[in-house]
Amino acid sequence: MNHPMETDDALPLECENLERFLGQEEARVHVLRGVSLALQRGYTHAVVGPSGCGKSSLLYILGLLDRPDAGQLAIGGRPVAGLRDDELSRQRNELLGFIFQFHFLLQDFTALENIMIPMRQLGRWNEPTMRDRAAHLLDAVGLGNKLHRPSRHLSGGEQQRVAIARALANDPEVILADEPTGNLYTANSTRVFTLLTELVRRENKALLLVTHNPAIASACDWVLTMSDGQIVEQQYNPRDRESDKSDHVGE
Amino acid sequence: MRPSLYIGLRFTVSRKRSLLFSLLGVIFGVAFYIVLQAQTQGFEQYFIKTILGTSGAIVVSDRYQNRYTTFDNAQGGTVMSGQQRRKYYEGITDAAEIMRVARQFPNVLACAPLVQGNITARGDFQTEIMTVQGIDLELQLRATALRDQIIAGNLNDFRVNPSGLMLGSLLADKLQLKVGDNVTLLGNGGERKAMTLSAVFRSGVNAIDERRGYVTTRVAQALLEKPSMISQIIVTLRDPDRAPAMSMHFERLFGHRARSWQEREQGNLQVFSTLRISAAITVSLIIMLAGALIFNTLTMTVLDKVREIAILRSMGYRRLDITVVFVFQGFIIATLGSILGAGFGALLTYGISQIPIKVRGVLYADRFLVAWDVHHYIYAAIIAFFAVLTASYFPARRAANLAPVDILRGSGQ
Ligand SMILES: Nc1ncnc2c1ncn2[C@@H]1O[C@H](COP(=O)(O)OP(=O)(O)O)[C@@H](O)[C@H]1O
Ligand SMILES: [Mg+2]
Repeated sequence: MNHPMETDDALPLECENLERFLGQEEARVHVLRGVSLALQRGYTHAVVGPSGCGKSSLLYILGLLDRPDAGQLAIGGRPVAGLRDDELSRQRNELLGFIFQFHFLLQDFTALENIMIPMRQLGRWNEPTMRDRAAHLLDAVGLGNKLHRPSRHLSGGEQQRVAIARALANDPEVILADEPTGNLYTANSTRVFTLLTELVRRENKALLLVTHNPAIASACDWVLTMSDGQIVEQQYNPRDRESDKSDHVGE
Repeated sequence: MRPSLYIGLRFTVSRKRSLLFSLLGVIFGVAFYIVLQAQTQGFEQYFIKTILGTSGAIVVSDRYQNRYTTFDNAQGGTVMSGQQRRKYYEGITDAAEIMRVARQFPNVLACAPLVQGNITARGDFQTEIMTVQGIDLELQLRATALRDQIIAGNLNDFRVNPSGLMLGSLLADKLQLKVGDNVTLLGNGGERKAMTLSAVFRSGVNAIDERRGYVTTRVAQALLEKPSMISQIIVTLRDPDRAPAMSMHFERLFGHRARSWQEREQGNLQVFSTLRISAAITVSLIIMLAGALIFNTLTMTVLDKVREIAILRSMGYRRLDITVVFVFQGFIIATLGSILGAGFGALLTYGISQIPIKVRGVLYADRFLVAWDVHHYIYAAIIAFFAVLTASYFPARRAANLAPVDILRGSGQ
């Protein structure tokens, strides 16, 4: 194997001194000013900070959708600098699950079909397996009764839950979520967050979640506070991980 | 199914309406292409068949002698192209020998000798200049389609009556003659023969039907005052497409001029091929228009689906996959359009071939002549695929090159 570092011990995602400028000439903005962080398996990480501080920009880079102007990024211990677009696409498909603030489903497809779309690209499972998996995921986000509803006929909140299920479709190592519960009602917000947390702990995944919801943030293992393109504080919330039910969130 | 094909298919199905016009464009373009080619080639094939059935694939005529011009190569002067200057002598010297040798060629089906010249025909009411051909009936029947060209009277009258005459249908009309009527043939030297009209033939090519008449070899030789002369040998071939090469070979072998049907009918054949090409170009424009419609529809789809494209990319679909999603939509249209267009084109071709329309002029026919040729269908499909795939490629590339992060940022995050 080319990468002896690529073991379960390697950090699922880490970055160092990420810099990013956006815009041209006078409008050029220094959006990320040396961001370093490491995600740990089995832990949930919240990113909080005022609007415009660079949270989304950071997530795009961590999600391999954008490239930093400087700094290093490694996924599963493997640096991604210099990788070809096709290889980045493959890693997005296999290792990363992305949840956007706005739902973005494929309009012409049903809820179930939407969830199967990343699985088809992955090509690991056969059709019935993909179908079962997708149904199971939809059930987990409370949409077990709307599998075959065309996505354009789902409410905003329902679409967001489909998008969350879709991010989990390929069993990713890292889940990146940009204000995913922003437009969910409290009950659903709790349910979805609980689902993500349980998944992360049970299956040893890593979650990075941008949120404005203080209850959700404080229920995460780590809270990273961003300000003006920098992480200014990293706070660890120790908890008894065996007995934790995380059901105190979102009250 | 590859996921990008699956997505492309679903996009196509959900945009049926807007893609319908492009599809119709391809269907009509392909169908019209096929119909027009079937027609132009139908007439062309009929013409060629008539020419081959009337004058054979190769006509061997006058004897020639090469005249070698000497060039002064020693002084480094130009060497001429090797084209020799020739002196021609009218008629064929040893027709029997030439036919014997020609028949040894596997590609040669039959040979028939004939005497040809211009004379005057005088009926009771009219007088016309005509081209008389003195034939050996049995050999002529084997080498040509004469038997099928008889439309009045019968061959047996000609066979048994030494003063029998057969006239082309238009010539018989001009002379106002019916089978059984008497005709006087006048040679230019004053020779005259009293003949009886045994039969009327119609080759279908008007230039022949309004001038030609057949008599026996002996009568023609007498009228033309060239006893024992043979002017031409008609050679028919199993594979008429090889006539040009064979005629060149014959020319050298026999020392006589030999002309293939392609050479003799060059002018007419060029008209047909020009017609065919111009029809093909005209109809290709319809298919191009369908391509433009596809381009437009797909460009709109790409604009409409930028967010979905960004999402697909974020889920790990590669640029190539996105290209395929959109090109595949064009592929579906081209495939459906070619299949339906071919069916529609075949139907139209059949319908047109059933229209009872009198074609007069260069050719004589009672129906629209059509050719059934699988190449028309293949070419139509090739043009359709080329136009549609080219038209789909550019929107597809545009979709593939969208940077997902720009779209996601632009969406308000
Ligand atoms: N294309 C762009 N050109 C210039 N500046 C941009 C561009 N996109 C975003 N920005 C700026 O980058 C900063 C960070 O944006 P973003 O990452 O979306 O912040 P957050 O998600 O924390 O609200 C903001 O100040 C925003 O105005
Ligand atoms: Mg943001």
